[in-house]
Amino acid sequence: MLKKYTCIICPNGCDISVEIEDSKILSVEGSACKRGNEYVKQELTNPQRSIASSILLEGGVLPLVSVRLSSPIPKEKISDVMVVIKKALLKAPVYVGQVAIANVLGLGSDVLVTKNVGAK
Amino acid sequence: MKQIYDVLIIGAGVVGSAVAREMARYKLKIGVLEKNHDVCFETSGRNSGVIHGGFAYEIGTLKAECCVEGNLEFDQVAKELDVPFKRTGKVLVGNTDADYKSLQNTIAIGKINGSVGLEILDKEHLHELVPTVIGEFAMFSPTSGIVEPFHYTIALAENAKMNGVDFYLNHEVVGIHREEDGTYTITTTQGNFSTRWVVNCAGLGCVKISDMLGIPGYHIGGTKGNYIILDKKLGPLLPMPVYPVPSSTYMGIHVTPTIEGNVIIGPDADRVDSFTDYSVAQENMDFLAESASTLWPQIHKSDYIRNYCGIQPTWLDGNGVIKDFIIEAREEAPHTINLVCIESPGLTSALPIARRAVRLLSERETLQPNKNFNPNRKGMVRFSEQSDEEKVRLIAENPDYGEVICRCETVTKAEIMQAVHNLLGVDTIVGIKYRTRSMMGRCQGGYCQMRVAEIIQEELGKKVTDVLYARTGSNMFTGKVRE
Amino acid sequence: MNIINKEVVIIGGGPAGLAAAVELYKKGIQDILIIERENTLGGILRQCIHDGFGLTRFKETLSGPEYAQRFIDEVEKLNIQYITDTTVLSVTKDKKITAASKNGLIIWQAKAVILTMGCRERTRGALGIPGERPTGVFTAGMAQSYINLHNTMIGKNVIILGSGDIGMIMARRMTLEGANVKAVFEILPYPSGLPRNIEQCLNDYGIPLYLSHTITNIHGSSRLTGVTVSEVDEHLKIIPGTEKEYECDTLILSVGLIPENELSLSAGVILDIRTKGAIVDENYQTSVPGVFAAGNVLHVHDLVDFVSLEAENLADSVAAYLEDGNLLACGIKINTSGEINHTVPQYVSGTKEFKLSLRVNKPLRNCVIAITQNGSEINSIKLKKAIPAEMIQIPINHKLLQSDKDLEVCVKC
Repeated sequence: MLKKYTCIICPNGCDISVEIEDSKILSVEGSACKRGNEYVKQELTNPQRSIASSILLEGGVLPLVSVRLSSPIPKEKISDVMVVIKKALLKAPVYVGQVAIANVLGLGSDVLVTKNVGAK
Repeated sequence: MKQIYDVLIIGAGVVGSAVAREMARYKLKIGVLEKNHDVCFETSGRNSGVIHGGFAYEIGTLKAECCVEGNLEFDQVAKELDVPFKRTGKVLVGNTDADYKSLQNTIAIGKINGSVGLEILDKEHLHELVPTVIGEFAMFSPTSGIVEPFHYTIALAENAKMNGVDFYLNHEVVGIHREEDGTYTITTTQGNFSTRWVVNCAGLGCVKISDMLGIPGYHIGGTKGNYIILDKKLGPLLPMPVYPVPSSTYMGIHVTPTIEGNVIIGPDADRVDSFTDYSVAQENMDFLAESASTLWPQIHKSDYIRNYCGIQPTWLDGNGVIKDFIIEAREEAPHTINLVCIESPGLTSALPIARRAVRLLSERETLQPNKNFNPNRKGMVRFSEQSDEEKVRLIAENPDYGEVICRCETVTKAEIMQAVHNLLGVDTIVGIKYRTRSMMGRCQGGYCQMRVAEIIQEELGKKVTDVLYARTGSNMFTGKVRE
Repeated sequence: MNIINKEVVIIGGGPAGLAAAVELYKKGIQDILIIERENTLGGILRQCIHDGFGLTRFKETLSGPEYAQRFIDEVEKLNIQYITDTTVLSVTKDKKITAASKNGLIIWQAKAVILTMGCRERTRGALGIPGERPTGVFTAGMAQSYINLHNTMIGKNVIILGSGDIGMIMARRMTLEGANVKAVFEILPYPSGLPRNIEQCLNDYGIPLYLSHTITNIHGSSRLTGVTVSEVDEHLKIIPGTEKEYECDTLILSVGLIPENELSLSAGVILDIRTKGAIVDENYQTSVPGVFAAGNVLHVHDLVDFVSLEAENLADSVAAYLEDGNLLACGIKINTSGEINHTVPQYVSGTKEFKLSLRVNKPLRNCVIAITQNGSEINSIKLKKAIPAEMIQIPINHKLLQSDKDLEVCVKC
């Protein structure tokens, strides 16, 4: 069976075709780099995504601070992670790279602050 | 117990606000009931902003009389109310023999009406005045001019307010009842009011109110005019309004510069029955651009800023001829002044109409002059209009003048703040837009709307879900993202 | 009024301005000033909280603010002067810059000016979408600013017009914040944004993308209540009878970015109608000597990594300009035709290597982009895929040029 994917790893967005039979990959075609091949393998078994969002900030010059995951998590866990992010609260000042939520839901990925925001 | 007003004016459009201002010259307790969240929200704020010369109206009509009167005094009025006004002149451009004859006729009528200085220009002289126009000859009306209609209406309303008039916005009149003692109880969506006199300045609602006053029998329809606003870079190419020679039912698709430097194409004129459908259709926009391009070929879609439309009350007699203003005080409805079908040239005629309304009142009741009446009203100091030296002085006095909020129109925080704390208590985004020009530029609020919304919330203590765009129900936001 | 002299003034402290400043400083030009109208540096990246930035430059996938912070940190470390909360009001062709701030009007006399003001978005009014004008219609950037910076949610049931990257990014963002994004409509027969965004912003969330569709009416007198959508033919004309109504309270428009060149015009800079940005030569110098441009204000980019590169590329030229008082004239014009929309730069001298940035104006497969001079081919590249959404860069060795005649860039498929 032929499956088609658009790789999301880099802006090239390669169209990658995968020939599979009985859950075994027979061939991968169309990727411009190794990462594309890795991507489709992951998509077939356990699709992963990274997300970015905002956490409420107390006492900061901005009301929210932007955050993102340090590494991709299973796609189906996105809404669960969003629930945690929506409930979180940080206190200003916050800095890029600061861990807002460590190992969110035990998925092995941290929620990291991505913007410096000073205190009021 | 609610106070009894001497006069309640229904409608805070340009006419209602003018009536309020003129009546404030007398010792009267005056209130204005306006159904929208701001003044000039309907017909008064949706036109091309032209102060007409007075030649386009039948001799002997109130339209002709009031228009010429209003036109001639407008320099003085603009000065008193601190409203930018330019007596640009206007050309009515023609190409054929029929056009020529029509213009000669127009000049003759204009002369009798009192419109001053009308003359025919040949091709050469026409193009000296307006190099970018297409036409063989034109009638030039030197007294015609341009004003921002909402600036003017807001100025009238603010002047009235300064002189003691109460404004009740978001109060729609739903019933009027004449009490036994001769006073009127006016029921609005936000409570009852008591008054000795009622003045109907309800514009599109004039027949509804006229019926409520006990003066039935008027029937009006609507005429919808659509407009396209063009980028300011076109402004220098159009020094004055340019109209094609008019037909008997409407004026033709004109191009009009605005005081601020934009160009407006329109209006067209569609008969409509709805007074609330302010949609602009594709065919209308296409027709406006196509038609106006034959007169002024500078119109490109890439220069479109925005479109809008306005609806005027229109009253045709049995022969399809547009009728005159009605300014009356009827026996069967004592202590009422009824203004019906105030359409174009309503903007130009506003103060003359107001004075006639006052006269109807003074003929029936002795009026004491209000010695404290101040006809002068100061508008906002606009940063963008000042010299560099003035800008320095403004910022030193008020550092908020140094913070530019609207980049396209160079509107500063000081102006937004003044607008948010405006005299009439208007708190909508569009209210701020009208008062400052922010959100009217090329990016249409893309850069500044967020800040203006924030300032409205902070300064007026508004909840994020209560920020209104313009009308009731135009809440802009559903809540905070995180709380 | 006091006029402050500066060697280089950079207007706009976003990614282009920051990169230009840092590179200039490293080249020994230290009397620099960055003027930024917001109260922090970073430009539009401040609100682009999604990742995907820095893949080529840093080999990491960063969010917008993080990418900006890398450069802001450098600016701070090098002690490059910048001023925030200051809005430039005008730039003259003599490089006099007047700006407003809470401290007053400030005037600088610069020897060189670098324009890095970025873009604004195309609006509903500019598109002329018919209908009523209720609230609830936002450009994608406005929606992004409201949600990411102002902590303000703008609606619940969303339709998006335009498959540009920002629109798709906002489709995902709003979905994650609980909105119901019903569909994305695109007037062209192909998407305008990157395929990876269709995948991770639309397909991941089951948001349908309808190509060759556009919005023909907007309904609602106070707040948006719905839109009318029609199909279009290959000439982008509405196909009558295909109207469908969609209920929604929010319409997001992602229908194009326009370089913000009002200040450039005030300086007398000539713009290219194809890019709406300045016409520049290989030095990124505009038609006004000593005035340079880079980043989105020059031409709309899709990847900020290339914005930084472009801004850095002009550092040498600015340094040379400051040294010599002028730069070598660039008389070789680069013409485009057919499927090539434009190139930046538009002029070269033929005395040094240059890099052509260009876009195709429709999707192409297995094509050759050729640069010819006087009929003979100077250089060409073969591409498996070329889409308008992706800027293409072609380095050109000037030694391959045979004369001072114009260059032609076209597609040979």
